Amino acid sequence: MTDIAISVQNLGKKYTIGHQKSGSLRESFASKVRGLFTPSSMEQEEFWALRDINFEIKRGEAVGIIGRNGAGKSTLLKILSRITDPSTGRFEINGRVSSLLEVGTGFHPELSGRENIYLNGTILGMKRAEIKAKFDEIVSFSGVEKFIDTPVKHYSSGMKVRLAFSVAAHLEPEILIVDEVLAVGDAEFQKKCLGKMDEVSKNEGRTVVFVSHNMVAVESLCKYGLLIEDGIIKLNDNIGNIVNGYLNSLRAYESSVQKSRIMTLELMKLVSVKNEPNNLVKCGSTFSILMLIRNDSNIILDNVRVALGISNLEGQRILHLDTALNNQGIKLRSESATQVEFVLENNPLIQGVYFVTVFISYKDEPQIWVKDFMMFTVVEGNFYGSGRLPKKEQAQVLVPFNIKLND
Amino acid sequence: MHKTVVDANSSPFRLNLRELWAYRDLFIILAYRDLRVRYAQTFLGLFWAFIQPAATLLIFSVVFGRAVKVDTGGIPYPVFAIAGMSAWTYFAFVLNQSGNSIIGAQEMVKKIYFPRLVIPLSKAVVGLVDFAIVMLFLVGLMLIYRVPISANIWALPFFLLLTVVSSLAVGIWLSALTIRYRDFQHVVPFMVQFGLYATPIAYPAETIVKNLPHWANVLYYLNPMAGVVEGFRWAIIGGAAPSEYSWISFGLIFLLFLSGIVYFKKIEKVMADIV
Repeated sequence: MTDIAISVQNLGKKYTIGHQKSGSLRESFASKVRGLFTPSSMEQEEFWALRDINFEIKRGEAVGIIGRNGAGKSTLLKILSRITDPSTGRFEINGRVSSLLEVGTGFHPELSGRENIYLNGTILGMKRAEIKAKFDEIVSFSGVEKFIDTPVKHYSSGMKVRLAFSVAAHLEPEILIVDEVLAVGDAEFQKKCLGKMDEVSKNEGRTVVFVSHNMVAVESLCKYGLLIEDGIIKLNDNIGNIVNGYLNSLRAYESSVQKSRIMTLELMKLVSVKNEPNNLVKCGSTFSILMLIRNDSNIILDNVRVALGISNLEGQRILHLDTALNNQGIKLRSESATQVEFVLENNPLIQGVYFVTVFISYKDEPQIWVKDFMMFTVVEGNFYGSGRLPKKEQAQVLVPFNIKLND
Repeated sequence: MHKTVVDANSSPFRLNLRELWAYRDLFIILAYRDLRVRYAQTFLGLFWAFIQPAATLLIFSVVFGRAVKVDTGGIPYPVFAIAGMSAWTYFAFVLNQSGNSIIGAQEMVKKIYFPRLVIPLSKAVVGLVDFAIVMLFLVGLMLIYRVPISANIWALPFFLLLTVVSSLAVGIWLSALTIRYRDFQHVVPFMVQFGLYATPIAYPAETIVKNLPHWANVLYYLNPMAGVVEGFRWAIIGGAAPSEYSWISFGLIFLLFLSGIVYFKKIEKVMADIV
């Protein structure tokens, strides 16, 4: 018996961009006719979504796969789940696999919750008897007991997701492949799901392959990780190094210059009053986001709109700072750079990693718009003067408040 | 220990019957879902499966039974027509359903692995319910018109099997073809409509064999259902034995079935990418 659960060798996936993907008889016929006259078809462009992927996952390990959108994570999961075939290489899986690329696959709105449990469970690879045995457990985990015989089309979207996840949570494969299914449902339910996955990997000793953008979840669930960039494995290491590697690759964007026809965003950086290093700010301290915007045209650009969106690691937008909100349109003198500084007093963000999206427009025409342009970290600080802070899962932002007593 | 090996260089054709059998639960539940959903929120429910052939039968009886006076060899026209129609209804149902079956299930195809053949196969099972209803209808009419069961009834299981296999053969071909060429979405309704007249349903096959030249007969029997419908009717209510041209139909069914599976397997590899 081998202790390798998944072994992947030289795996690659090629897509052809252009006409070939799917089409009509006429196109296919036409391209065959063209092929008679031109020796090589120039129109098709090849695109390698994955290339030279090699790794091994040991039995009982939880491995996180991280990478930016379009890096090839989902393609890798699809190949490992056998949804699509690789173009090169091979892989071997030892054990029964369940893959969860979404929750609720095959759910039918006209069928009742009960019927959908059987349907979805079977689609995910459970046997009928297995579902029957776990049925009560599934229903009570989902919390929709009262509506179990109602058609799912009358469910709220939250109920649907809960029911779907409950089915998935009761799978008992030896190897579990999970895509970002945790991006659904309310926070409480997400926690429940993470707890369940933790249980599966740590207590039951099953192999888990987990793709997510949620660094907190990945870090707490997985011991090892793969960082994928542009279709290749950039890093294969323990999870701490993988998360750092990912954050560094995002940070590499920071200094790059963004340009439009009439202006350039030359610089954007975080300035904390106490000059803390490495883009660190404390809760409750004052900091600013400083930009250097150059007007490349020879006219004065008046009433330029600058907006900053601050999102947390899970991608939720926490703050929106916008010159349009307080009517402070910015004037940029011709052919020179203007320093624009957004100042935040009493930093209300709770500890964690944040990304800044920048948007600049002139006369309602977007000039510069970069998602997650800059990253910074908020660390614990003395917001309330008491030295205490709510726990991370208790709040998203901090606000000052008073308590009045009427005796 | 369950072991899965996927190799990009392995041979493209590998029909894994054991795997297909392992997925029988899925296949049953998909058929169940289709059945439950088809008549959900309809007032008449399963009765619709009876109304459609009944309406066609009524038109046929008026046009071919009364007006044209087709020679049925002494068998009351409604019994004659429904005997042919029962097998055809099943075939037409499977054709209509299979063509779009994989496109209809694309959410599943893109998100989970299972042998894709399960999809068209489950459609063929769903059709059996409608088939059974039309067969009951046929039995009812035979009782009303006091038409005795023919001595050829021993051949019925064979023709039932042929009906299912030929429906599957064309269904598997169409489900795979429609993924790549959506043109077939438009071809299928046309095929079904055309086939209703190019198959000996409303008239006996002898009329064709007797009145048309040899080459036209060969062409006629290239319709896989031509031989099947003829034999099916002969097994139940008797009449003229199937002509030797029927072998063309039978041979073609066999060929279509095998080639359909090969083509399907080939497309299966890229199904999730092109659907």
